[in-house]
Amino acid sequence: MLNDIDNHDALVLGGQAFASRLLLGTGKFADASVMMRAVQAAGTQLVTVALRRCDRDRPHDALLEPLLSRKDLVLMPNTSGARTAAEAVRAAYIARDLCGSRFVKVEIHPNPHHLMPDAIETYEAARQLARDGFVVMPYMPADPVLAKRLEEVGCASVMPLGSAIGSGQGLATAELLRLIIRDARIPVIVDAGLRSPAQAAAALELGCAAVLVNTAIAVAGDPPAMAEAFAQAVQAGRKAFRAGIMTTGEASATSPLTAFLRHEG
Amino acid sequence: MPDHQDIADRPTATAAVATETWTRPAPGEAQFLALLRADPARELENMARRAQQLTRQHFGRAITLYAPLYLANFCSGGCAYCGFAADRPHPRRRLEPAEVTAELAAMKAMGFEQVLLLTGERTPQADFDYLLANVRAAARVMHEVTVEAFPMTVAEYRQLAAAGCTGVTLYQETYDPVSYAQWHRWGPKRDYAARLEAPARALEAGIRTIGLGALLGLADPISEAVALYRHVCALQKHYWRSGVSVSFPRLRPEAGGFTPPAPVSDTQLAQIILAFRICLPDTPLVLSTRESPALRDGLAGLGITRMSVASRTTVGGYSQAAVHATGQFAVSDERDIATFCAMLRQQGLDPVFKNWDAAYRVAGEA
Repeated sequence: MLNDIDNHDALVLGGQAFASRLLLGTGKFADASVMMRAVQAAGTQLVTVALRRCDRDRPHDALLEPLLSRKDLVLMPNTSGARTAAEAVRAAYIARDLCGSRFVKVEIHPNPHHLMPDAIETYEAARQLARDGFVVMPYMPADPVLAKRLEEVGCASVMPLGSAIGSGQGLATAELLRLIIRDARIPVIVDAGLRSPAQAAAALELGCAAVLVNTAIAVAGDPPAMAEAFAQAVQAGRKAFRAGIMTTGEASATSPLTAFLRHEG
Repeated sequence: MPDHQDIADRPTATAAVATETWTRPAPGEAQFLALLRADPARELENMARRAQQLTRQHFGRAITLYAPLYLANFCSGGCAYCGFAADRPHPRRRLEPAEVTAELAAMKAMGFEQVLLLTGERTPQADFDYLLANVRAAARVMHEVTVEAFPMTVAEYRQLAAAGCTGVTLYQETYDPVSYAQWHRWGPKRDYAARLEAPARALEAGIRTIGLGALLGLADPISEAVALYRHVCALQKHYWRSGVSVSFPRLRPEAGGFTPPAPVSDTQLAQIILAFRICLPDTPLVLSTRESPALRDGLAGLGITRMSVASRTTVGGYSQAAVHATGQFAVSDERDIATFCAMLRQQGLDPVFKNWDAAYRVAGEA
């Protein structure tokens, strides 16, 4: 029964099926080799890489080359650094050619300090890029209305934040994520804010289709081991969600609460 | 980008930043002050642990590297502490276009993608148009071009941004007006208020990042740090789309010619940097090659996230054979890039040469 659940449970994005529901960010690692070992240990099939970090003026970029050499990996370049929709769209085209990927993670955070996504510019960039045939994955505030608007313009998924990038505050937006998941017809992927595997499991239990993790793995004492732990937690959380998690409620009253209606028999 | 000119108080925003720097305690200022005044024998280690954790959380293991390019050492300024001041006798020169091209090519070959272009105060030989032309030249080669020069008007900063300049560094030198008047002996730089407003003018004009700093050693370091902290907070509030970074240039007691009136020890410098990291956890903090290898190695990743490396502070220092020219300041960390990067990697830090892409430059650039 459980195997049945596992066997028919691929994450589908842009018409492509992924067995792994753990997406990885590639920044903040000590070096590219640690990053690649973490990617391997996580069993990740979809990784995001920042155009601003890719050295496109020289051959053999330390970050890009090992990622491109893994033919089983889908690259999802991100537009981190863009402040406007126009900048993000321009970056997406350059990154598409550089990475050979239709996937793009639209990331527009005009304030370089807290890195909160700009809903207005994100919507505009996503609309244009989806129209142009990209598989658009927007990093967004946990706003249920914006999520539907992004779905309507053709995004492949929405990526609401659990909490601020790098904050490790977990699912601070849980109540809003519930609404987004309830209404969504496309996969909801929590991006940003997860500190521990337990939080990743909680996101999957909530009904998120996947999570994207970077800081928590990159700055761990042993990044590959932490990547593996996250992968296991994501699998556990997904399996629990599919298996049906017991609901909790008040203990039942000792006498019937509707006894006063019995006279109508 | 939405035009933010429609906000009613815009014309006075640059003045408001300056006023707030002087009058309004910034959020978290009490904690910042407590950290600055803490007994280092008891608290410095705790501060370092907290600072390292916050740095990892916000910046990961990345240390961004850049190099300064001195375009000219002509200067109209009279800064008593500076090797390039107008009354210093040493020979003056500026880089001509072919030389700038050669310098940029040499830096690019070294791996750099971020260049900081420097000139002195305005002179006929190194004026705004000279700087603008060199920003254009650098933007053709480097992904990220920043400028450390004289204060400019909003219109001038706008032209720089259009030419591809993404960041401006402008130190107030000292936030103490009395000390400021004492050490800035003549010229336009005597205008304390005009300089204090200049970073806001740059951001008003659409420059993306501003680098602030106080030249430590000129006045009471705690007062300087607090004023600098307020300046950062005021700019972040008024120019929320902009990045603010903080540098910690220090007048070294042993550097010849000028004895700093309020020398700052290594411990004091470290304490100031750690306090900034703890109170401004997501703000890039910068340390140059003025400082010793030992201090730089210790502070990398402990708060510092951006460093210059293999710097030449002479005009034409990268592409031309080493000559014994006088630099603006003495470079204390003379290690080459390979040695410096090896040190970072040994500490589990990742040297990052490119952290920006020319794709993000403002649309319709010159």
